[in-house]
Amino acid sequence: MIDREMDEIKERDLLADEQFGEKAPRRYQRRRPRQVVPDYIDWKDVEFLRQFIPERGKIMPRRISGISAKDQRRVSTAIKRARSMALLPYVWE
Amino acid sequence: MANRTYEVMYIVDPETPAEKLTKLNEAVASLIEKEGGTVVRMDDGGRRTLAYPIKKKTEGFYILFEIEGSGQEIAELERRMRVNDMIIRYITVRVDEDRKKAERIKTKRETRTSLRAKSRENAAAAAAEPEAMA
Repeated sequence: MIDREMDEIKERDLLADEQFGEKAPRRYQRRRPRQVVPDYIDWKDVEFLRQFIPERGKIMPRRISGISAKDQRRVSTAIKRARSMALLPYVWE
Repeated sequence: MANRTYEVMYIVDPETPAEKLTKLNEAVASLIEKEGGTVVRMDDGGRRTLAYPIKKKTEGFYILFEIEGSGQEIAELERRMRVNDMIIRYITVRVDEDRKKAERIKTKRETRTSLRAKSRENAAAAAAEPEAMA
């Protein structure tokens, strides 16, 4: 039973290119947090906040960063504060 | 009113001469004292490149103040900063509540780990005891 399901999944993955645009379910891999979030997030700590900013300058979504909702909220406000003081860019080339 | 802690940061025009900058910082400190606040910390971040240009400037002097007070001095300070041409950007953040929260989390975690250590000790003692009896 399980084996058959696995086969089906494999088949679907192989067909993914041809089925592009159709309702192929998009699945995200839940990632473990790569970094420990301190109790107090300092908005001036640019080095720490940079971990949550991929090359475009956007804030990393929670499904990628893998941190808790509360921490994500704190991190994002800290990033926004740092941005307003030109410590971090709004956009990157 | 309850005591509050604020962080005030401002960016000064990079073309300001050094003596004018120190004068500005002294003026800010004296204004805070006059309005009933206390300066906990004053940090000169020095010249830094901005992440994006502000008013066609790519650099700026970063000054950080940590202030304790009621909030009245912040209102006055912000009013002054807004009209000052040397200051190209400023921000005020209230930090006491977040710090207190962080402190609470920390103590909670510490008590939890100490409790766990204690229970482990007790378990070890209980395991060791029958042998001692025998």
